[in-house]
Amino acid sequence: MPKCTINGKEVEVKEGTTIIEAMYKNKDSIAHYCYHPGLSVAGVCRLCMVEIEGNPRVQIACNTTITEGMKINNTSQKVKDATKWGLDFHLINHPLDCPICDQAGECGLQDQYMEFGKYDPEMAEKKQKKHKVVDLGPTVVLDSERCILCSRCVRFTDEVSKTHELGLFNRGDRTEIGTVEGIQLDNKYSLNVVDICPVGALTSKDFRFRQRVWYLKDSETVCTGCSTGCNVKVYFNKEGMFRVKPVFNEQVNGHWMCDEGRGIYKFTNKEARLLKAKKGQGGHWAEMAPGAAAKELSASLKSASGDSIALVLTAQYTVEEYEAIVGTFVNTFKTKKIFFWINNKESFETFDGLLLRGDKNPNTKGLLKVLEKHGITASWGDLTAGLANGSIKTVVVAGPENQAVFPDMKDRITELSKAQTLIWMQAGSNDQLAALKGNVTLIPLKTFVEKDGTFINHQGLEQKFKRATTIVSEALTLDQAASLLSGQEIKISVPVAVETFVETNRRPDEVMLEHRKKNEFVFKRGAL
Amino acid sequence: MSVVQNNSEKNKWYLIGILGGMGITMKHLVKNLLNKKKMVTLNYPEEKYEYSPRFKGNHVLTVKKDGSLRCTACMLCATNCPAECIKITAAEHDDPTVEKFPISYEIDILRCVFCGFCEEACPVDAIRMGPEWQTPGVNGNNFIYDINHLAYRPSLKGGILTHVDDEERHKAGI
Amino acid sequence: MESKLLTEFYHLDEFRGIDGYKKNGGYVDLGRALKMQPQQIIDEVKASGLRGRGGAGFPTGTKWSFLPKNGEPRYLLCNADEGEPGTFKDRLMMERAPHQLIEGMIISAFAIGSKKSYIYVRGEYHYPISVLEKAIREAYDAGYLGKNILGSGFDHDMDVYSGAGAYICGEETGMISSLEGAKGQPKLKPPFPAVQGYLRKPTIVNNVETLAAVKYIIRDGAQAYRKHGTEKSPGTKLFSLSGNVMKPGNYEVPLAYPLIDLINKEGGGMKSGRKLKAVIPGGSSAPVITAAEVEKATLDYECLAGMGTMLGSGAVIVIDDSQCMVDMLGVLTHFYHHESCGQCTPCREGTGWLNKIVHSILEGKGRLQDIELLEKVADNMKGRTICALSDAAALPVLSFVSKFRDEFEFYVREGRSKVKGTTYAEMHH
Repeated sequence: MPKCTINGKEVEVKEGTTIIEAMYKNKDSIAHYCYHPGLSVAGVCRLCMVEIEGNPRVQIACNTTITEGMKINNTSQKVKDATKWGLDFHLINHPLDCPICDQAGECGLQDQYMEFGKYDPEMAEKKQKKHKVVDLGPTVVLDSERCILCSRCVRFTDEVSKTHELGLFNRGDRTEIGTVEGIQLDNKYSLNVVDICPVGALTSKDFRFRQRVWYLKDSETVCTGCSTGCNVKVYFNKEGMFRVKPVFNEQVNGHWMCDEGRGIYKFTNKEARLLKAKKGQGGHWAEMAPGAAAKELSASLKSASGDSIALVLTAQYTVEEYEAIVGTFVNTFKTKKIFFWINNKESFETFDGLLLRGDKNPNTKGLLKVLEKHGITASWGDLTAGLANGSIKTVVVAGPENQAVFPDMKDRITELSKAQTLIWMQAGSNDQLAALKGNVTLIPLKTFVEKDGTFINHQGLEQKFKRATTIVSEALTLDQAASLLSGQEIKISVPVAVETFVETNRRPDEVMLEHRKKNEFVFKRGAL
Repeated sequence: MSVVQNNSEKNKWYLIGILGGMGITMKHLVKNLLNKKKMVTLNYPEEKYEYSPRFKGNHVLTVKKDGSLRCTACMLCATNCPAECIKITAAEHDDPTVEKFPISYEIDILRCVFCGFCEEACPVDAIRMGPEWQTPGVNGNNFIYDINHLAYRPSLKGGILTHVDDEERHKAGI
Repeated sequence: MESKLLTEFYHLDEFRGIDGYKKNGGYVDLGRALKMQPQQIIDEVKASGLRGRGGAGFPTGTKWSFLPKNGEPRYLLCNADEGEPGTFKDRLMMERAPHQLIEGMIISAFAIGSKKSYIYVRGEYHYPISVLEKAIREAYDAGYLGKNILGSGFDHDMDVYSGAGAYICGEETGMISSLEGAKGQPKLKPPFPAVQGYLRKPTIVNNVETLAAVKYIIRDGAQAYRKHGTEKSPGTKLFSLSGNVMKPGNYEVPLAYPLIDLINKEGGGMKSGRKLKAVIPGGSSAPVITAAEVEKATLDYECLAGMGTMLGSGAVIVIDDSQCMVDMLGVLTHFYHHESCGQCTPCREGTGWLNKIVHSILEGKGRLQDIELLEKVADNMKGRTICALSDAAALPVLSFVSKFRDEFEFYVREGRSKVKGTTYAEMHH
């Protein structure tokens, strides 16, 4: 365990730690672009300069391993000048695109220039022109002029996704990132290159020009795309959700997430949602407030005999919700006919080696745990048989939030609509459900961004998450629905201001700026 | 508002005050009849006051040489607007040199406080505050100005040309 | 004393073939070396004080001793990517005496225990490549390469690899990248090639001249080799003399030879009787020295380093008083701008920036503050990058501007050359 001194502070680090890692841990600010903790060291941006006592030249912190007794500082005038000029070299050919650049507001170049920059541009010559708006593939657009050639994206495709699509072409200040002709940047993790791009060179086609980032708030939550349960940040404002980005968690997803998971914001937005409860009888629908609809059903459910009621659950809800609804059915309605709707049995166990799993539910383990706790052993066959012989009359369904990963949606709706009374609760709207002609009630539920809860991922790791925002305020959570169905009132918990919104507007590699804190009002106002 | 009653003796001599006031009115009447040029009021709406060129009236979106909108949909005006009256929807342009442009740009002029921050925030001279200020409308809808009104209303005669030209900037190597 | 070692038989045409080479003492030393212990050879090279002839002047024996001791595969690479403007000594050596290089390489490979070596030749050198390939075939046929060389039990294979025209591949890690099939970009150090080089295995990269000289150290012994040159810069070296001299060409002289003698005696004096103005003593990356400094300069590592320049690859470029230094700097900055690999930001952007500033001065658009800016930019490129190309681009700029500032200022003020009196367009039609 070598000891060293960083900016006057004595630090003890693990053997083989580089200076930049130690400074990260020590929360020292240091300028850098090409260094990324999840990738190999390239050492090309030449910004993380430090002065080491006994060495006349400034060294890069990302490729220098700490040795015993090293005296490091990055606050001397020499280092500051080196960083200033390093930044100026980055900027001389960088276009003045900030107004139309999507990265503006969360741009490494803007942030770091504010903190370390020279503020005295001396470049009077023409800028180097390169290609703009290059279509790299189905997900990503490249702007070569904005690129600072940190090579993070190239290293990502080489080292993490191992698809080797990207490369550096040409040389000198004509160098550009690109793909070989005929090959596209098309892999399951391609959008990570957009996250790690410190400037606006790589932009996501999905998010491009949709919002300025300063209009967005963010909040941490857990991805519901599959049973890996990647830690993510969702970005939203009053108009809805706009994007999902990964958050570092060593145990679960490291620094990355898949492209599929980035689409999970889409089903939470109003356009895809069921906004009101609907009561249908013979094809005529009456709109109701969701709470009222659920409460109205409680009488008929209570009066029905226990065994004629069945509950169908998908593995897309939180552990707390399962506890509530399974408890209600077992204890209040006295039925053990609770069924687990498995969406894709064939590919359930598959895994692509990095993050993506075949089990497209965030909480399979959680559901199984709750079912086991209540001693429920019913299999889908019982339900089919029960519906056929008429012993099951009322079916309550907690449908999928993310309907896209339920290829058997259509068949199941047809199958379950055979019940005399169908109560279908789910977040999203569905045309087939809306076309049902029987005695059907549709109750809107909340999505994962609108509630607190716990998911248990494939490893058995319990991950708690907090509510990020509310999109459909009338919709119910499954535990609220459970208490209303059993005739109770919803307990209104007074939200504690601190707990309602956990703001994590800080990126791991962001440089905190004093003046930015002062201007909080200006920067955040658009989002209010 | 509070009412202060003044019950002093002096107050009872109101007639003298009225006559004094009438005197002043008559004085001005005679003055204006004799010397019309020095009259302070205008015969609105036949006559209109000339405001200074810096007057901040209704917004104008400038256009490029080819007549298309100069605005790049950077949303700095919307961000800067204290009244939050600007709403922009950006889209991708077919021309890669333009890249981003507004497919909708709306100003709710009834919310606008005419502070001119939008003008100041604009990096490409796309929005200016013009000399117009008398803009009546029949109902609320008439006060939400869209691109057609902001850039191409008849009084602008086909649009106002911007100072910032992309081609020139390109040639200068910016 | 006859000071020619390497070039002794270069005038003989037969020296190119294996028979002529053997007739003139070829492959004798290989047999001797193979009977020695490898460590003995390394010690001998160390004792001789041989320094790398490619440019950096790093002691060769010390470099060899950085190799890890365990027996994993290791490689010997011969750097024949001679790209430094002004240098053409390796070409002569490969064309005139390919076997001399091959013999030196086999001895070196035996010393460091390498079973495979590559000669990385500059892509434009079509003829030297064909000569080398023929010579390697001859050596294989004669049993100097392949399995069990001369019955010593030592196996060695050799290959020629042609570069693709990048100056940066003359840098050892850039060369290794290129050899591995990647884009020719220098790699981060540490790890150094001696620890992790070609295919992540220990690798030694040496210049053509260095490897050839190993043969003569074995032939004469370290002490005899030390008789040439000085204590710190022993041996002889080939100098590529070019520019405004009567007889440009390659000359082998012992180190610490006076520079002025090289120009006047070997080079036959200045061309058309003009006055000497400046000399770039070590290839285009070396800072320029003025005529006054040339008088005092001797061609060894220490003296030139003391003058703020370097011996480099030994390319002496002689400049007479009819040359415009601004125009010449324009050529140099253009070269480095063209050749920067684009990896590190200060070099990628800085070389372009320098080139743009110098050319705007040349085109008459310069401002007086541009001269200062040139110095600032160059100063901030120095020592900030992975390899030395950034320094190589910055040092000439700094020396040109500081030593010939009057020419630059005149050009900025008048928009034309002080020496030639013409504008850039007129100079280049």
